[in-house]
Amino acid sequence: MKFNAVTLEMLWTRLISIVDEAAAALVRTSFSTIVRESNDFACVLTDARGRSLAQATDSIPSFIGTVPRTIRHFLNEFPADTLEPGDVLITNDIWLGTGHLPDITCAKPIFLGKKLVGFAGSVAHSPDIGGKMRSADAREVFEEGLQIPVMKVIRRGKIDDTFERFVRKNVRVPDQVMGDLWAQFTALHLIESRVLTVLVEHKLNSLADLADEIHRRSEAAMRAAIREVPNGVYRHSAVCDGFEKPIELKMAMAVNDDSIAIDFAGSAAQGPRSINVCLAYTNAYTSYGVKAVLSPNIPNNEGVLRPITITAPEGSIVNSTPPAAGGARALMGHFLPMMVITALAQAMPKKVIATVGSPLWCINLSGVKRDGKSFTNLFFMNGGFGAAHDRDGANVLSWPSNISSTPVEMIEQLSPLRVKHRRLRTGTGGRGQYRGGTGQEIAFENRGETPITVAFLAERTRAETAAAGIAGGEPGTPGEVLINGARVDPKVQHVVAAGGTMELKTPGGGGYGMPASRDTALIDADRLDGYVSYGSETGHG
Amino acid sequence: MANFALGIDIGGTFTDIVVYDAVRGTSAAHKELTTPEAPHRGVISGIQKLFGAESIACKDVSRVVHATTLFTNALIERKGAPTGLITTAGFRDTLELRREHKYELYNLFMELPRPLVRRSLRLEVPERIGPDGKVELPLDVDALLAAAAKLKAEGVTSLAVAFLHAYANATHEAQAREVIQARHPELFVSLSSEVAPQIREYERTSTTVANAYIKPLADSYLDLMSREIAGLGIKAPLFMMLSNGGLTHIDEAKRVPIQLLESGPAAGALAGSTFGLRSKARDVLAFDMGGTTAKLAMVEGGAPLIAYQFEAGRQQRFMEGSGLPINISTIELIEIGAGGGSIATIDALGLLKVGPESAGAAPGPACYQRGGTAPTVTDANLVLGYLDAATFAGGTVPIDAALACAAIEPLAKQSKLSIEETAWGIHSVVNENMAAAARVHVAERGHHAGDFALLATGGGGPLHGCEVARRLGIQRVICPPSAGVASALGLLMAPARIDRVATVACRLGDMNWRAFENAYVKLEREAGAVITKTVAKRAKVTVVRSADMRFVGQGFELVVALPAGPYHTNAKRSATALREAFTAVYGKTFGHVPPVGEIEIINIRVAVSAQVAAGELKVASGKRGGVNALKGKRKAWVGARGRFELLPVYDRYRLAIGAAVRGPAIVEEDSTTLILPPGAVAKVERSGNIVVLL
Repeated sequence: MKFNAVTLEMLWTRLISIVDEAAAALVRTSFSTIVRESNDFACVLTDARGRSLAQATDSIPSFIGTVPRTIRHFLNEFPADTLEPGDVLITNDIWLGTGHLPDITCAKPIFLGKKLVGFAGSVAHSPDIGGKMRSADAREVFEEGLQIPVMKVIRRGKIDDTFERFVRKNVRVPDQVMGDLWAQFTALHLIESRVLTVLVEHKLNSLADLADEIHRRSEAAMRAAIREVPNGVYRHSAVCDGFEKPIELKMAMAVNDDSIAIDFAGSAAQGPRSINVCLAYTNAYTSYGVKAVLSPNIPNNEGVLRPITITAPEGSIVNSTPPAAGGARALMGHFLPMMVITALAQAMPKKVIATVGSPLWCINLSGVKRDGKSFTNLFFMNGGFGAAHDRDGANVLSWPSNISSTPVEMIEQLSPLRVKHRRLRTGTGGRGQYRGGTGQEIAFENRGETPITVAFLAERTRAETAAAGIAGGEPGTPGEVLINGARVDPKVQHVVAAGGTMELKTPGGGGYGMPASRDTALIDADRLDGYVSYGSETGHG
Repeated sequence: MANFALGIDIGGTFTDIVVYDAVRGTSAAHKELTTPEAPHRGVISGIQKLFGAESIACKDVSRVVHATTLFTNALIERKGAPTGLITTAGFRDTLELRREHKYELYNLFMELPRPLVRRSLRLEVPERIGPDGKVELPLDVDALLAAAAKLKAEGVTSLAVAFLHAYANATHEAQAREVIQARHPELFVSLSSEVAPQIREYERTSTTVANAYIKPLADSYLDLMSREIAGLGIKAPLFMMLSNGGLTHIDEAKRVPIQLLESGPAAGALAGSTFGLRSKARDVLAFDMGGTTAKLAMVEGGAPLIAYQFEAGRQQRFMEGSGLPINISTIELIEIGAGGGSIATIDALGLLKVGPESAGAAPGPACYQRGGTAPTVTDANLVLGYLDAATFAGGTVPIDAALACAAIEPLAKQSKLSIEETAWGIHSVVNENMAAAARVHVAERGHHAGDFALLATGGGGPLHGCEVARRLGIQRVICPPSAGVASALGLLMAPARIDRVATVACRLGDMNWRAFENAYVKLEREAGAVITKTVAKRAKVTVVRSADMRFVGQGFELVVALPAGPYHTNAKRSATALREAFTAVYGKTFGHVPPVGEIEIINIRVAVSAQVAAGELKVASGKRGGVNALKGKRKAWVGARGRFELLPVYDRYRLAIGAAVRGPAIVEEDSTTLILPPGAVAKVERSGNIVVLL
């Protein structure tokens, strides 16, 4: 079938609205805080070969390209002739999936009559996957929880009882975990039935031609965008907190006419902690950086990614091999898009921003309540955004992920904590012609009668890892984690006694341009609103 | 004895005045240009003109209902009062921290909405209430007075007070108002526990601040309007339309004016439900397509659906999440960037895109001859023969088909299609955009669009309605008469209605049923008191209880209508009834109820309403028979056949009741044109509605 500007536009809009509708259903039915507050999921439609046609608009960058790739792994183990209507496939294998165990990928083959025409796919962050509590210090993937091999979780409409019993036995909140899987199944069913309606309505007997056309056009648009970047090799290296000492990531981005090759040679080797990144996650976040600068408006699909090659040495921290742990991969992975953006700063200064005070931070608590029931809570917080050539960075914004904070009133309803304050961390945005966004500070008190175990995800807590400025802008202030008023190592578990306090101070974003060029009206406004510290030398900090 | 009801709807461009004769059951309407600097002027002159023309005496008016976009515009244009915010110590930045997420994932240059209160005007006072409502730290009155004095010195005239957990215990906020007003009686004070007493501090604070921001404006405006209307000799009190589609008296409107925000669209949705019922359609998608946007409201069982949160002052009009959250009950409505002025382009992928950018009224579509060169939906409709240059807008706006063709030609070349095919493409893509938005919106509420009738209003509604309906699998399209003033007519059909909400945050298993029942009774008393002040004593009052419920661990609540109380007399039966009510709505919305989970109730809600309208409203209907309604024939594109055909053109005003028109055909009236596709049959009903069966 041939498509023109009108027919393709209408079909494509329709397919995107189908995955968006499925995404809305998934968010609303899921139990996981991280799915509903943070859009930590994706819904995808692929053709029969596992090539993506549409991905839900709001899915966060970690899932760019991962679901179709997982579906192709499904097809390797379960070729088309072994699939039947009503089947659902599943895995959370970190090398076949997204790089950490809580992300469970499911896919449902779509049959038009007897013919396999495509897959409805989804991935979502499960409320729990067993294993050690989420922190950065697991040494192998085996410590991080239950590993689900590629398997049929539903056969011709019937769920595998053994699977369900295994899962329930291995997780802390079995009802919520199973509830979320049902939410995924519901979303897959919805995609399947809507897609079949469209196929019948438009008298199509396959999605393959449509996929070819979508990919051809998307690829052409991406190549055109790449041609705007001068040829050359753009390099950048980033320093992350690491553990005993900082960890370095190195990137070389070769732009050659209409294609980009990015390589991470020279980056640190994988290590016995859970911050190792599988190649799928490296791919997703690196592509996100390229897309955010060059082609933010092209919908996500196979074609967009074709002109971009991403490689990293096997066994490095950005292309880990079994049994490396990956539960806290975001601590490394969230640096990747910023590396791409910073590398492009000289070539395209008006399309980039200074470094963001990311990765995301979180606090993970567990303990036993007075009635003997155990509880776990997970709350997120973000740092300041990077400044751009024409504006200040936003004060506190989630990036590159999109994770909402939990309301203080909900935290206090759900946990034995009192929040003493949650406020902007003034004076932490990097100075510049445009100022970096400030971080935030949030202080908790354990009001329970029992101690609680606490783990954090926290990054940019060393001077050398502060969010950098560009074009003369200064770095933002690094973050801090304090327990009972003293700085602690955020990468290990701590126990906080009854009455004890914790304070998290997230990093500020980098500034853009020379501080001396800042408009005096902006300086006055900053002073009046207290976004900067009073008394700093030049009056804006 | 003469008895009239008067409706006043102030929109951005026009002020609509409608009057309903309760004795004869007829209505009349007048359109006046809105006078933004002094909105009452347009209203008064409009009433005088209409009453003069219809020989109506002001003393014979028994009811006045008013809707206005004034407050919405004040938020969009940031023209509210200088506002200050006082919070619990440690939390003045809640308003600016928001929820920390982005509304666009790939845009590095996204603009966040600016808080209505800048940081220097957000002050803190020591006080603390726990999540269970217990006072943990008493309110520091000295600090409070110091903060109020400081804000006043900075020029603040309206204060918002939002303390943590004030939904669970309002005493500190109430005390704060007492103390502040004793010292500064001229300051307006809005309390979060009154404006939006619901858990989640950002949303509650945002709503309270928005209320404070428009409160001084609302206060003086409502007083002025009451006086001006009374000055005409109208003795009836002024009632205000609320966003929830109910009306209330001035005091309630002044108390929490944020409830007035969506009063205009609410009236439109109500009109949609009423016109639907006149054709015996109880489930209706009210589709109103104008020059810049299309609005879509869902009517279920004869009543518009209500939502409990929306956004005001969006940074990007059609981007969810880019505005300020406002937690009030409001008619459920979506706005789509699709109208006659929507511009068509070819994007980087070579696809034909239509909207949301619009040519607006100036320069307008290319065919308007006002300097516009961008091809728009109206240009496409003209090329396709759906519009007639000779009769467009009753002949008041001259349009030129050659300019429309010239504007579309570059797109046709780029996409290697003929001009006519491209025009049909523009028409189809904008229809698909509207259908896609409707499809997702309806599905998100657990329905299938195909089960609804489509009620088409606005200049573009009947032009696009049949095609949009076909894409949604809808079989019946209803075109009411006088679509131009439908929204104002809705004002006269509104019941009195007051909604109240409170947070209980309690699991069904641990419920104290007596306390739960008492919480409902308290809300019902409060709401009932406002209603009895609004309606006549003999009016029938309806009370509906509902609750925001979820499975423990979920973050979204479903609003579930509950059976009437009392609940405490039989706890077991109540628990079962509430569980069943929840799982029924859950199953309907999501198609599947997980075999797990305890249920919790976050908020409880009551809606108390009473009918105030007297008699059935009649609207100017078609004249009876005799005259030939066929005006002539013109060449128009028949999409289903991919070619131009010579189609009959009918004059709607001359179609007799009971007359049937078979598609393909065109039916024209002053403000719009109905396009009938092949196979469609349109019938003129006694009610004046034209009902199209596809």
